[in-house]
Amino acid sequence: MGSRMRLKILRILTRIGELNVSEIARRVGGDHKTVKEHLKILEENGILQHKTYGRICLYRFNPNSPKAMAIQKFIEEWESLEKPHA
Amino acid sequence: MLPRLGSVFKDESKLDISYVPRRLPHREKELRILFEFFSFLLRDPLRMTQKVLIVGDVGTGKTALAQKFGEDITRLGGVNIKYVHVNCRQYRGSLFLLLSNVLSAFHPSFPKRGLSAEELLNILLQVMDEQNVYTILTLDEFESLIDKEGSEAVYKLTRLQESRIGKPHRISLICILKNLEFLNTLDASTRSSLQSNIVYLERYTQDQLVDILNDRVQIAFNPNTVPDDTVNLIAELAHSEGGNARFAIELLWRAGKYADAEGMRVVTPDCVRKAASSTFAMIRKSDLVQLNFHEKLFLLSIARFFKENEEAYASLSEIEQAYAITCEEYGVQPYTHTQLWNYLQNLSALGIVKKKVSIAEGGRGRTTLVYLPSISASELEKELVELLEKN
Ligand SMILES: Nc1ncnc2c1ncn2[C@@H]1O[C@H](COP(=O)(O)OP(=O)(O)OP(=O)(O)O)[C@@H](O)[C@H]1O
Ligand SMILES: [Mg+2]
Repeated sequence: MGSRMRLKILRILTRIGELNVSEIARRVGGDHKTVKEHLKILEENGILQHKTYGRICLYRFNPNSPKAMAIQKFIEEWESLEKPHA
Repeated sequence: MLPRLGSVFKDESKLDISYVPRRLPHREKELRILFEFFSFLLRDPLRMTQKVLIVGDVGTGKTALAQKFGEDITRLGGVNIKYVHVNCRQYRGSLFLLLSNVLSAFHPSFPKRGLSAEELLNILLQVMDEQNVYTILTLDEFESLIDKEGSEAVYKLTRLQESRIGKPHRISLICILKNLEFLNTLDASTRSSLQSNIVYLERYTQDQLVDILNDRVQIAFNPNTVPDDTVNLIAELAHSEGGNARFAIELLWRAGKYADAEGMRVVTPDCVRKAASSTFAMIRKSDLVQLNFHEKLFLLSIARFFKENEEAYASLSEIEQAYAITCEEYGVQPYTHTQLWNYLQNLSALGIVKKKVSIAEGGRGRTTLVYLPSISASELEKELVELLEKN
């Protein structure tokens, strides 16, 4: 269940780039608190990083982590397989 | 879209309001002045920003000038300059909506809900720091922002750096407005900081409008479809509308549409009159009814002259000749030159015809030229014939 949610989060961030917690929660259909916990775990693992702008906190893939970049690349490839090419 | 077979247009989109022309005749100097005001950006952008006002009446090219400047300066490369043009009225003068839009230009997915304008502004600066970009923000129809937000908003925008001491300057402003009086509601120091660099755009003269129109004729119309007379008439009308280039270009387009609708291969001055009659108020019928019998005949002669001749102007003697023929048709003796002169004064005071004095080459002799401002000659003829039948 938890890993499903995490995958959803990563897929959304692959697509959009950078998003705040409430928006991620809305898009993955989870509650704010749970999503925040997942984000924290993903960040602790070096996959994501966050940046704050005043009251706003944006999450994105950590560009300095090869692991994160590999995951992002993999998701991109995967998503492009799912979509028939235009 | 392919041009319709037989259309006078080659590319109608070049007459759209949103089209930014490749060059702006008679605004070269103003463009240069803008570059001078912003020359520091290209050399040493960190330590200062600029505030410039562009002031001028409707259709004097304020928006076009700013957009052209933005295109040109960002194309120069080197420093990372971004030009953002927002129309304040489009955002109902709301600083929040306006800044949300600007932020979207830098960060499309940034969440803005629940934030204040002030927070947005700080976020914007932070994003610009991260992207190391220098922004020229144009606030078009600036009046609208002042109206809605008062001096508070303008104050904030002009003093961004005060809370960022030691950080690079990021946002320069170009504020566009029609009239400096709008600034009177601002506090003195904000006003003076804005007013130190002003680019005034004068109303276009008739000759300048001719040049602007000719440029558009070249790119929007097929060859030999728009004669000089037509361009001159449009320029004349737009000049009397306050030197308004928008009015001129729109009228050019309408006249072309009219020619197309009538299956004409040339946009004649009469197409312009027809087109203009749908933009301004038509002549009031009551004005025509009031005219006496010979005034009506005289006006009918003017209408017929323009219907039959593809000319924009008629000399008084040409009209007199036409009038003599009309009198013959109605079986009456023509009136004298002096009487006709008085009629002309009256008709021109009513705004039904216009006149201008043209000085002959060499400076000797002045001729009065007559033209129809806003009405189609054949429509005017029809009205008058009907009225004369009732007499
Ligand atoms: N010098 C010029 N050369 C070519 N086209 C011009 C020139 N000046 C204005 N125009 C054109 O005339 C139209 C009106 O110009 P613009 O919108 O810039 O006027 P404005 O001063 O912003 O008017 P407003 O006060 O109503 O906003 C536009 O289509 C613009 O492209
Ligand atoms: Mg404008």
